[in-house]
Amino acid sequence: MKELFPIKQVMGFAFSLVLTVVALLVYFTDMSYTVGMTVLLVTAFVQAGLQVVVFMHAGETKDKGSIYLNIYYALLIALVTIFGTLLVLVWDM
Amino acid sequence: MDFFDRFAVPHPSFLIYASMVGIGLTMLAIVVGITYFKKWGYLWREWITTVDHKRIGIMYLLSALLMLFRGGVDGIMMRYQLSMPENTFLDSQHYNEVFTTHGVVMILFMAMPFIIFFFNYLVPLQIGARDVAFPRLNALSFWLFFMGMGLFNISFIVGGSPDAGWTSYFPLAGNEFSTSVGTNYYMIAIQIAGIGTLMTGINFITTILKMRAPGMTLMKMPMFTWSAFIANVIIVFAFPVLTVLLAMGTMDRLFGTNFFTTDNGGMDMLWANLFWVWGHPEVYILILPAFGLYSEIIPTFARRNLYGYTSMVASMVIISLLSFFVWAHHFFTMGQGPLANSIFSISTMAIAVPTGVKIFNWLFTLWKGKIEFTTPMLYSVLFIPLFTLGGVTGVMLAMSAADYQYHNTMFLVAHFHNVIIPGVVYAMLAGLTFYWPKIFGFMLNERLGKWTAWTLSIGFVLAFIPMYITGLDGQARRMYTYSESTGFSLLNMVSFVGAAIMAIAFVLLVYNIYYSIRYSPRNIGSDPWDARSLEWATHTPVPEYNFAITPQVASTQAFWDSKKNGHELFKGDIEKIHMPNNSGLPFIMSCIFFVFGFAMIFSIWPLAIITLIGILACMTYRSFEKDHGRYISVEEIKETEKRLRGAKNEGR
Amino acid sequence: MKVDNSLPLEYSTEENNLKILGFWIFIGAEIMLFATLFTAYFTLVNRTGNGPTGAEIFEITPVLIETILLLTSSFTIGLGIHAMRLNKKKATMGFFIVTLILGLAFLGVEIYEFTHYVHVGAGLQVSAFTAALLTTLGTHGLHVTLGLFWGFFILLQIKKRGLTPETANKSFIFSLYWHFLDIIWIFIFSFIYLKGMM
Repeated sequence: MKELFPIKQVMGFAFSLVLTVVALLVYFTDMSYTVGMTVLLVTAFVQAGLQVVVFMHAGETKDKGSIYLNIYYALLIALVTIFGTLLVLVWDM
Repeated sequence: MDFFDRFAVPHPSFLIYASMVGIGLTMLAIVVGITYFKKWGYLWREWITTVDHKRIGIMYLLSALLMLFRGGVDGIMMRYQLSMPENTFLDSQHYNEVFTTHGVVMILFMAMPFIIFFFNYLVPLQIGARDVAFPRLNALSFWLFFMGMGLFNISFIVGGSPDAGWTSYFPLAGNEFSTSVGTNYYMIAIQIAGIGTLMTGINFITTILKMRAPGMTLMKMPMFTWSAFIANVIIVFAFPVLTVLLAMGTMDRLFGTNFFTTDNGGMDMLWANLFWVWGHPEVYILILPAFGLYSEIIPTFARRNLYGYTSMVASMVIISLLSFFVWAHHFFTMGQGPLANSIFSISTMAIAVPTGVKIFNWLFTLWKGKIEFTTPMLYSVLFIPLFTLGGVTGVMLAMSAADYQYHNTMFLVAHFHNVIIPGVVYAMLAGLTFYWPKIFGFMLNERLGKWTAWTLSIGFVLAFIPMYITGLDGQARRMYTYSESTGFSLLNMVSFVGAAIMAIAFVLLVYNIYYSIRYSPRNIGSDPWDARSLEWATHTPVPEYNFAITPQVASTQAFWDSKKNGHELFKGDIEKIHMPNNSGLPFIMSCIFFVFGFAMIFSIWPLAIITLIGILACMTYRSFEKDHGRYISVEEIKETEKRLRGAKNEGR
Repeated sequence: MKVDNSLPLEYSTEENNLKILGFWIFIGAEIMLFATLFTAYFTLVNRTGNGPTGAEIFEITPVLIETILLLTSSFTIGLGIHAMRLNKKKATMGFFIVTLILGLAFLGVEIYEFTHYVHVGAGLQVSAFTAALLTTLGTHGLHVTLGLFWGFFILLQIKKRGLTPETANKSFIFSLYWHFLDIIWIFIFSFIYLKGMM
């Protein structure tokens, strides 16, 4: 039975629960917008990275270069799209 | 009777009724012809169910040529309408429909399948692979594209064409101002074709990353394969934006949401913004493979190695990233602040740098080369100055302050035709002439080919250079007529003459194909141009397994090395080859998609739900299907090889 | 078909490797798909027209339940893949079943949430904000729904055909998909709900 629950994945799950609780502090305590957003950004991206590395086994084959490059590329363009759009349509600068 | 009213054309004219009859008769003739010659079985077995990348490629080619004709007719109609002031050939509504379908057809249903034809036909051959990574998916990509194309093209005889421009900006494209189903066609037909294109992107990235011949590192890939790789990367990251955008547009039109409306918080500018987040990378999806083709053709006929391989690759990688950083230059005048405009202005100018690097690389390849002016080379040499002209006017447009003057004028129209026609269309025709003998086993007539190239270029210059002038003088684009006092008449007449000459070039191309089918010699061997990369190393016609033995590669031009420097391409013995099975599922599923799209366009909900279930059923079937492919035995390969080699020796 | 026994089953044939890499690239496309939805959401979040704002309609309890359910299901599918690599068919199937049940429960809560929104006057057609919100959530929910069917089909195939290179490959790819949906949910949880209620 024990071999079905590898320590790495159990720790990963526990850690992701902790990150969720930390993110919830934004709701349950009184934070400024800047601090709150910082907390959310950090917890969300750490948690996403955790999923990719621990659960999705992104780095286990010789294709890991392609896989990581693919994710970084997507992430870069996603952020450019989101913030570029906000720059154009919302922030009015 | 109410039910059928929705299929009527809301704004009919004699021309539309005539084309209705024409299309009906053509379809009938095709069906009767196939039945008479008993070709249904052949069509089903060899083409509709095929998963062979070469055959799928040829089907893309046929679609592209058909759409080139359709889009070209649209173009000529527009030029004729504008050739005289106050012309009454088209009224404003028809003019709107014509420029809308001209844009969509030429970009999405002509240029896209044309480049995907080259991806399909060339990439596996250039990297020494047996097929693409996911042959079944490739067939599905084609058929979804084909059904999207079909759906879009029936719009003008069933229910009315879209008329809000190929950009379909809201609120014009919303229910309030576009009351016919035309814009529904736009939303849904492009959606279906776009899903197909997205899958093409995934397929080719995987193919290029994983299926290269032994020894072919990334930096030893032929330049066209590199350009295909980069273009497919852009496809994968740009097309999801289009998917979401069209879905939101569909919801606004069919389900009454408020994404792009003008009340309840909707923001019409979001459409323009997201459209160009996809739309600008799309431009580079088209132009990069064109650059790749020039990079194959120029070294071949300059008899020199491509100059600056590494900088070619680097410039494409930079373009692929920068292409996602410039979209707002399409709407500098929309009212965003000066900081935003400046950022996008600078990034736009920056993208001219890697493009310039490529131009210089081609020029340096030509430098001191023993240039041979074949038709493909002629196109390439004409491309360089004409494209550079378009590039320079692009930098003019990139200046956001000056853009207030150019915006929405014929100057812009002249600019983008000036990059797309010498850039993409010339490359397609050059590539088609260059690879025609590989695909069909005979050359296109050189003399007619050169006539075509020159006619096209003269027509192009006459048609589009005048627009720069009228544009600067203030002629707005998308206006169906103008008054005599504007003084635009003469230059617009010149434009029309140019367009007519371009039409003659198209006729010459078709005649060339006919003439060459009849008279061209068939004994040309497998390498008629004395070319450089792997696609020329196999037989003509290419056997279904491409290479009997997987080639070994040690440089960027393995085949040239094997001819001149004693490099051994094919080591080892023939082994049995694993090939995928044909399947009718992609075709059937795409047909259901067609009906689903049709039902959505006309809001026939029961049919939409039934077909949606049908699509899911197809996917379920696929999940449970067991298909391990088949093997071609060693004997069969040896026999095929002997037959093909024999054919070649006879020709020598 | 060449089978390399030194590797886990899901990587053991060339075709399997192609499929796994191809799916990663598909995930790259999915990142852009959701990024576009987020772009629309962030642009429209304050454009509520006559409708309610996010702070007025979001409820922490169902959101928290959904988060825990999906996080746990992501954990269990990871354990399923681990069990598959130990070649334990029963355990693999068990973890698959748990995952699917958790996914179904998630979907149930999400449906409750949607009816709640409609109930408090935040239906799809109310404002640009509600359209963007419900479309983003709905696209994720649709992915989960398709995933449930897909996972169920794979479960049936494991039961019938055992752990073969094909079924192992499908299971692994399904696990990638499921983890990816969890990642998207993390971003929805953080930047739609928590940011909205902050």
